[in-house]
Amino acid sequence: MRLADRSFDAIVIGGGHNGLVAACYLAKAGKRVVLIEASDHLGGALATGEISPDYMISTAAHLVEAMPRRIEKELKLARNGLRFAARNVPAIALSRNKRHLTLSTRRRDLAALGQWNAHDAAALVEFLARLKSHATALRPFLLGAPPLSGGPSSEAATAFRKLVWRARRLGQPSFEDLLHALPASIGDIVDETFEMPLLRAAFAFEALRGTAEGPYSPGTAFNLIYRRALQLETKGASLPRGGMGALIEALRRSAESFGVAIKTGAAVKRIIVESGVATGVETVTGDFLRAPMTLSSVDPRATMLDLVGPACLDAGLAARLAQTSRRGATAKLNLALEGLPSIAGLSPEEYGARLLVVPPLNEFDQAFAAFKRGELSDEFAMEVTIPSVVDAALAPAGHHVMSILIQHVPYDVAGGWAGQRDRLLNRVIETLSRYAPDIRARIIAGEMLLPSDIEAKFGLAGGEWHCGEMRPDQLLMFRPAPELAQYRTPLQGLYLCGAGNHPGGISGLAGQLAAKVALSEGRRA
Amino acid sequence: MSGESDIPFVEETGHEEPDETSGFREQPDFERLEASPTVDELFAPASDEPPFSRCVLTTSLHLSVAAESRTNRWTDWNGYTTPEILTTIDDEYRALRQAAALSDISPMVKYRISGRDAASYLDRLVADNVMRLSVDEVMPVVFCEDRGFVVGDGHLFRLGESEYRLVTEETHLAWLLDSALGFQVHVEDVGAALAALSLQGPHAAAVLNAAGFYDIETIRPYAARWFDLGGIPVYASRTGATGELGYELWVDPEDAPMLWARLFDKGAEFGLAATGYAVRELARIEAGIPRVGCDYLGAFAAVDLADASTPFELGLASLVDLESGHFTGRDALRRLKQREPRHLVVSMALDFPEPVQFCAVEREGAIDGTATSIGFSPALGLNLALARLRYRTGPVALSVEVDFREGLSVRRLKIPARLLTEAVIGSPMRHAVPAPLLAEF
Repeated sequence: MRLADRSFDAIVIGGGHNGLVAACYLAKAGKRVVLIEASDHLGGALATGEISPDYMISTAAHLVEAMPRRIEKELKLARNGLRFAARNVPAIALSRNKRHLTLSTRRRDLAALGQWNAHDAAALVEFLARLKSHATALRPFLLGAPPLSGGPSSEAATAFRKLVWRARRLGQPSFEDLLHALPASIGDIVDETFEMPLLRAAFAFEALRGTAEGPYSPGTAFNLIYRRALQLETKGASLPRGGMGALIEALRRSAESFGVAIKTGAAVKRIIVESGVATGVETVTGDFLRAPMTLSSVDPRATMLDLVGPACLDAGLAARLAQTSRRGATAKLNLALEGLPSIAGLSPEEYGARLLVVPPLNEFDQAFAAFKRGELSDEFAMEVTIPSVVDAALAPAGHHVMSILIQHVPYDVAGGWAGQRDRLLNRVIETLSRYAPDIRARIIAGEMLLPSDIEAKFGLAGGEWHCGEMRPDQLLMFRPAPELAQYRTPLQGLYLCGAGNHPGGISGLAGQLAAKVALSEGRRA
Repeated sequence: MSGESDIPFVEETGHEEPDETSGFREQPDFERLEASPTVDELFAPASDEPPFSRCVLTTSLHLSVAAESRTNRWTDWNGYTTPEILTTIDDEYRALRQAAALSDISPMVKYRISGRDAASYLDRLVADNVMRLSVDEVMPVVFCEDRGFVVGDGHLFRLGESEYRLVTEETHLAWLLDSALGFQVHVEDVGAALAALSLQGPHAAAVLNAAGFYDIETIRPYAARWFDLGGIPVYASRTGATGELGYELWVDPEDAPMLWARLFDKGAEFGLAATGYAVRELARIEAGIPRVGCDYLGAFAAVDLADASTPFELGLASLVDLESGHFTGRDALRRLKQREPRHLVVSMALDFPEPVQFCAVEREGAIDGTATSIGFSPALGLNLALARLRYRTGPVALSVEVDFREGLSVRRLKIPARLLTEAVIGSPMRHAVPAPLLAEF
């Protein structure tokens, strides 16, 4: 039976993790749901790919950091095959002089740090405690739809008053810290907190990873708090067994067990709007699907401007959406390695950690300056994982795969990428060689995804991974625009459920919360 | 440290000769600087007429208008020098209401909107249904922002299948361009490229007929047509905010003085007189038409939203069509329509035989509104005003307090005011088709 001939209660556009989560929750509530995905596989930027035969790796995103345990349980992901190769993956900042730093407050790590720099050991405990308390104050914001701002609504004012109240309960110094940290740059915060350059740079990178900001850009300290708050729902960073594609596979099975019809290879041409009501979608192949609710997990800007079209929107909203920024700044390098590269000073079990390769803050800042000018920097901050250490099935025995996120790679580079791809690759390998001198010799195969490749491959505008930059002016009730912040749109029956909506990140929360909103409105109607 | 600067910090290095190979530079590398195109652009000769360099502008009719001035009283209209009063306000008013009054309205803001999507673009922009506008027709429009507050109002002319002209009181180019996102449409400010004359009065059609606008009387109200006046193309529309039979003539700036001269040449026998801005304002007040920037603030000009107005508050509900296609602010206006307006812009009259000035409008002794435009109607012997009053239901007993000066003495008077429900002046001729070519006194 053709899809177009069946009738559905809800259409979900886009088969990324949020689209799948939304479809699951809708189907779980008894709705007949169809999910349509443009490409021939689900997951979007959450995918496991092959670098070369038998070397499997998470093609783009490589860690699950923010998906709440609650969603895992409610959607029975474990029963549907989701296993984690590692939970609570620690972060280790690699040092050029072989004294690597584990960013944790475990007694053993603290003792090691204390021997090196007693001040920073104390500062780290205090810093992480403070970060956690700020994140806790922020947490309730992330578990529900963001408050409505503007107009006669006082929701936003109430929500922020509550935030102030929660923060005050943390004690006076902490409250002041929070007020101080909200607009501050992460560079200034770490400069005043730590003495060791490595520790400063490591936390700066933690705040900046995936953003198009520099360590001294205002508002970046908030990124760290926000990211920490998202992690409160789960147990640190996790590596799914089988790469990120395995998470999507579990979501797919879960969705199918709830009865979601999944159709891949069907790109949506437009959302059908009839006198202010979204009544379904038209695919590029000319099929019409109709349902009283449509949820789009596609980038909200693309949903509203390309699929709905500005003609059905107010001009101010359309102009504001068009102005939201999408600056891709992260490239991805995936390597297949013959054997494990030896990193001096790293104990065998630590190879499974999240390895941070960070230049000192001033060089980090220079890298950002080069990025802003559209040039290749000399130094790059990188996040490296070697998932095959904990998940041997990813590579043939004795061989490994390495996943590298490269920060501050511009979308357009001066002189064009054609001649500079290799230069970037060389610089990255050179930088890695300082820590693992044998890495160059061990490379068998590799693939590099520049921001433009990310855009082409996953349809992420500007090569920006989050469907809208995660920065304070585009978070909470400003994500993706004040009028759209609660997953509703001005069009009755159309909801936004993608990562471009609150709270963002690989959390699935946007999907879950949007489904909740859609269900509650459906009941009312 | 902000650390974002990439300019090397130059230090004094004593008296040593600068090393060629060192990274420090004592002075800029002029050769390199000159070669770069950005510097060339910086020093490129400025064009003859930079668009925003002049603040005081004159219209193409300035010399023609100035020749009519007996008072040298000028004022500013959208940056253009425009006559306040040319002879006396009474003479000009008499010409408007009893003969024919010609004025230069070139300072009006004019946009040309063209392109494949022009119609759907305008339909999304303005609150009314633009799709029903035929070629050579005109409609009054109001346009709002997302929250339903009025950005501005004006008249929309359809010049061709996909060519329109929007004539407004204030500039709106930024908003028009913002609204153009996603539409194949070209929006262009043609303010300086198009001259406009307004010919209003009972003899307007007769003057035009004598000047060679044959069959002018067949143009219906809010319609327009092209005329060829001895080689000068003139677009004449039966429009004008005076409550009188009248036309507006749209013409190339170069041809405008010739058209002006021809109208005076042929129109003198009908009592044609040139008029200034003061009469235009007075006629507008008599007709009860609020003007943006004066009687209400555009949504983007209002700092406090309490100062912005919805179309319902301006009495422009007839220009809002909530049922046909989407337009900016429709959802908000649907909600606002259910609610009481916060204030109303109303016309009111004061029965007092001398012109007076006032500001506060009182209701039962308390200030309840502001008079925003005041004029003394010579025809009616009344003070008229447009005022913004707080919305209240129930009986209305309005009054204003005026300081009335006679010679050197002053009296403070409390004068009752009454609300006007319809325009006090409206010539029945303005609707007549065909328009009378010779009005009977």
